[in-house]
Amino acid sequence: MAHFTCEVVYRGIFQKNLASRICRGIVLSARKAGRWGIAFGRYGDSPQRNGIPAKDFAIVADSQEELEQNMARYEPQEVDVTICVDDTLSKGVESWAWYGLQPINRLTLPNGTLLMTSLQPAEDLLKDIHKKDAPYALTLLRAKASFSGLWVYREDHTEARILGALSRIKPDFLSLDAVCQAIEEAEWGSDLKVASARKAHERLETRLVNVTEGNPETPFSFEKPKWWEMREGVSIPAIPVGKPMEGGKGYVPERNPYFKKFTSRTMRPVIDFDKCVKCTLCWLQCPDSCFDVTPDDLYDANMDACCGCGVCEAVCPAKECITMVSEAAFDDNASQWEMWRKDKDTYRTWLTATVSDTAHVVRSHGFRFRGQYEQELRQDLDTGGIEITTGIPGENAAAKTA
Amino acid sequence: MAEVFTNATQVLQGFKGVKKVSVEEYFTSGHRTCQGCESALVMRLMIKAAGPRTIVLGATGCMYVANTTYYTTPWVVPWMHTQLGSSGSAALGTAAGLKALMKKGRMKAEPINVIAFCGDGGGADMGLGAISATLTHKEYNCLILLYDNESYANTDIQASGSTPYGANTTFSPPGSVKRIMHNRWKKNTAGMLAAGHPECRYVATVDASYAVDMMNKVRKALSIGGPTFIHSFDPCPKGWDFDPMLSHELGELAVETGIFPLYEVEDGVVRHYGKTRAIAEGRPRKPVREYLLKQGRFAHFTEEDLDYFQAKVDEMWEKWEIPGVIPFWKEKRPAVPMP
Amino acid sequence: MAVETKTIAAAPGDTEMLISGSEACAEALALADIDVVTAYPIRPYDTVMQAIAKKIANGKLVAEYIVAEGEHSQFEIVKHASTVGARVFCGSSGVGWMYAMECLTVTPPLRVPMVAMVGNRALDDPGAFGVEHNDALVVRDLGWMLIWVDTAQEMLDTALLAYRIAEDRRVFLPIAISADGAFLTHSQALVQVPTKAKVDRFLPKYDRGDLQLHPDNPITVAPQANEDWVIEIRRQNNEAMTRAYTVIEEAYADFRKVFGRGPDNPWFEEYMTADAEVILMGMGTISLPLKVGIRNMRAQGKKVGLIRPRWFRPFPTEKMVAALSRASAIGVIDRDYSFGSPFGSGVVANEVRAALYNADKRPPLLSFIGGLGGREVTLEDVYKTADMCFAAATAGKSDLKTHWLGVRE
Repeated sequence: MAHFTCEVVYRGIFQKNLASRICRGIVLSARKAGRWGIAFGRYGDSPQRNGIPAKDFAIVADSQEELEQNMARYEPQEVDVTICVDDTLSKGVESWAWYGLQPINRLTLPNGTLLMTSLQPAEDLLKDIHKKDAPYALTLLRAKASFSGLWVYREDHTEARILGALSRIKPDFLSLDAVCQAIEEAEWGSDLKVASARKAHERLETRLVNVTEGNPETPFSFEKPKWWEMREGVSIPAIPVGKPMEGGKGYVPERNPYFKKFTSRTMRPVIDFDKCVKCTLCWLQCPDSCFDVTPDDLYDANMDACCGCGVCEAVCPAKECITMVSEAAFDDNASQWEMWRKDKDTYRTWLTATVSDTAHVVRSHGFRFRGQYEQELRQDLDTGGIEITTGIPGENAAAKTA
Repeated sequence: MAEVFTNATQVLQGFKGVKKVSVEEYFTSGHRTCQGCESALVMRLMIKAAGPRTIVLGATGCMYVANTTYYTTPWVVPWMHTQLGSSGSAALGTAAGLKALMKKGRMKAEPINVIAFCGDGGGADMGLGAISATLTHKEYNCLILLYDNESYANTDIQASGSTPYGANTTFSPPGSVKRIMHNRWKKNTAGMLAAGHPECRYVATVDASYAVDMMNKVRKALSIGGPTFIHSFDPCPKGWDFDPMLSHELGELAVETGIFPLYEVEDGVVRHYGKTRAIAEGRPRKPVREYLLKQGRFAHFTEEDLDYFQAKVDEMWEKWEIPGVIPFWKEKRPAVPMP
Repeated sequence: MAVETKTIAAAPGDTEMLISGSEACAEALALADIDVVTAYPIRPYDTVMQAIAKKIANGKLVAEYIVAEGEHSQFEIVKHASTVGARVFCGSSGVGWMYAMECLTVTPPLRVPMVAMVGNRALDDPGAFGVEHNDALVVRDLGWMLIWVDTAQEMLDTALLAYRIAEDRRVFLPIAISADGAFLTHSQALVQVPTKAKVDRFLPKYDRGDLQLHPDNPITVAPQANEDWVIEIRRQNNEAMTRAYTVIEEAYADFRKVFGRGPDNPWFEEYMTADAEVILMGMGTISLPLKVGIRNMRAQGKKVGLIRPRWFRPFPTEKMVAALSRASAIGVIDRDYSFGSPFGSGVVANEVRAALYNADKRPPLLSFIGGLGGREVTLEDVYKTADMCFAAATAGKSDLKTHWLGVRE
């Protein structure tokens, strides 16, 4: 009697189809060896939202009886393998209000595996991945995050490569041949994808992580009230009105303390305050009210609230004033404006370095124009990585340097 | 006189330019909407325009489910859920309750804004009857704002009466045999409500890509008195499948291509505004393909589909008695064959 | 013999009026000074809305009278008016009540103390105006308090009690007052109408407190909840319904003090039950033929009595069991159906069976369905029912069948 539980942690909508292909692939591969299995998404995540972290699960077992122990659940309590298909999720997962910040390796069993698609060195990732009280293996598949929308799927082989990698991690449950056969039979399968799976099987990088390694921060969490502590009439107090930032000037809105939203972010705006023309557009057009108004009428994006949509960059009329930079380049949510105000030279140095690091500024949410993915896929499939120009092609890309 | 008294509204002057927009937030961070959610922006601008002495009612939909995750809220002003088809009834009931209590001296008499919002599913489909009824109750001050993201975007992107021709939704997936499952043309909701309610003093269409205009229309709707209606056009990065960064741009393109006209009907007078005015005056429109091909929901379109779409939009401007507003034709309408 | 007097001595200041049950309800609403009322036509309940309209037109009542475009809106409008602090009234019948169903389900969790009148009516199809209780009964599991009345006087008194109970902060739940179509809604009786002064002494102003939706009390109401929260909300609802038992007892006690009338036992009426071997049960106006039949049978020495449940939700389990345990057989006549239910019985019979399950003395219970679609329940029906109960009493067991009364066979 044995069973194998696996979670896929991914970006809502952008990777919904990807995660579902992976989980179905796991069950159908295991079926080749006569095993039983189920694939399901965490119902609490639905309806999914662009970028908000979500989870899918695949569970396979030797017998239907053993499988039943894991059915009719929202989420398993522990998993053999955590698959993370976007390395910016290594900072943690906050899918719903009151969930708190959940470390990416929270469900990973002792001596289990965290499989991640990333181009970052393991050491950099471990700055973000929270410490765990048990050792586990960090296994890296060299690839950029595969993002696409609901209707236009980016056929960059990521699902096939993940399955190939799993056959290396859990050969007793998913043999490479079984995986390849399942890929062959899938409606999205192809010989090329089988080849990608075999290549991924070869090229895994694994590193053991011990209990002393990882991000030492204690993730924020909440204790839910008892039924008699909750307000009646399904009512709750409103958010208080905001205040001036300092000396009666500027403005800082109060914010929902139970859902911060920053784990939805894959990119963050980096602001060159010296180039700001104070047009107010970034602040005015932000759907998440994340810009604090500073006493000197500049706009400081609050990094607890920003979900990285990039609208501020899109509407900013000033050349190279706002640049969206991959979340991977940052270690905290500190205020850029405070940093700028404290020491303009240091800020200038940091800013220049950050916005000119092509490894980090080349990142995209997904679909921008018909034929985009086909164009991008002509480039190197093997890394699963796709070069994206910074800014919006045909819009403000010209004003950006990648 | 009690009647006049309880019918008083807040006097909200329009913001004179982007720098004059009030800094206070009454819909704040920490809602669970998508990256680049234009409807969340509409909520924020709507209540920024209305101010703190406002009660907001929200019909089931994205701006309910995504915005307010129990036991939290992004709302600073009083807010309450109402059923999917009930934005009209919620606005009416709240306004009537306030009016009765003030009239009887059981509540301090003051003009309190009442805004009920609904999505296109709640407004253009299920709730249309209740909205229509409310727009006839002229003694109650309330605004109904329809945020139109052109599908049941909360439940999984299903086609609504407000979904554009041919769009890919989970109820209208392009297939190997049927490429176009959704072959209905979008409902003309604002025009229909303006035409159908002779005593409604204000109906407008807005687009948050033109934020100041949008907020000033909300202010006018709340100040003018009686029940009013605003139809907001909200690009949806999730359901339309485009990069969240483009929400603002698509909002502009919808207007520039003439697909979504901006106009207001104030005390019976129709007025195109913004870029739509130039289009109504004959300024060339951008081709619809510039808008359609930026969205994954139209990725399956053929040249014929694009032409058909263009032809139907051309009709709005070249054939309608009141361009972009009411589909009454100058001459008998010929049938345009669908591809 | 416990015989509750039905002839109300006019208390000082009361005026006697010849009015229908619906009009009696409207009198109570004017005395309660309701703030917002929504109307939509459907027989038979809408006679109450016609009566209120007249009162407003003639200045007897100041309230917002809104003619809705359907029952769904009708109930949503008053729901929202109530959340800002207005005292509201609404109502419907049969399929109209069904059309409002979505809005009926949301009022209890929102803790909206709405009072509604249901003019009980058969559900379509076929369209029929006559009485059946299935309409009001569909909300029995949702947190609505349900009460059935059998005279115009009781309708007036109950409407006043309903606001007092529903608007008690410990409860804050909606109440539906059921009145049998035609027999109550459309026939006029002599009713004692109390003075405004008395009503003001009995009925405090509605204070929504920290649940009021107003800029001075900024709250968010009913956000979308996931599996982490819903069961706690249901648990709160259950607590409110449980607290209603005490609140109802208190309200009736005060009512007797202030108005000098009203039952000692709020929950159900007992008629000639003290020494009864057989107790017949039925809700609403079915009590009238039953009482006549019982008096006639008593004249022949048959010890029969009647229990007429008023409150169906909350259900007075202990009191009901205590009262029924005295009998040797029980006959429940349902003016409703529950196809495919245990023994094919009506709703009331099976509720009573459930209540008796753990009783020490559990008399045989016979289940009857009668009077559907407004069909009269005749004295012959009553005698037949009683005789079958006496037989069961002698046999010491019931046949566990459900007997349909007055059906052409």
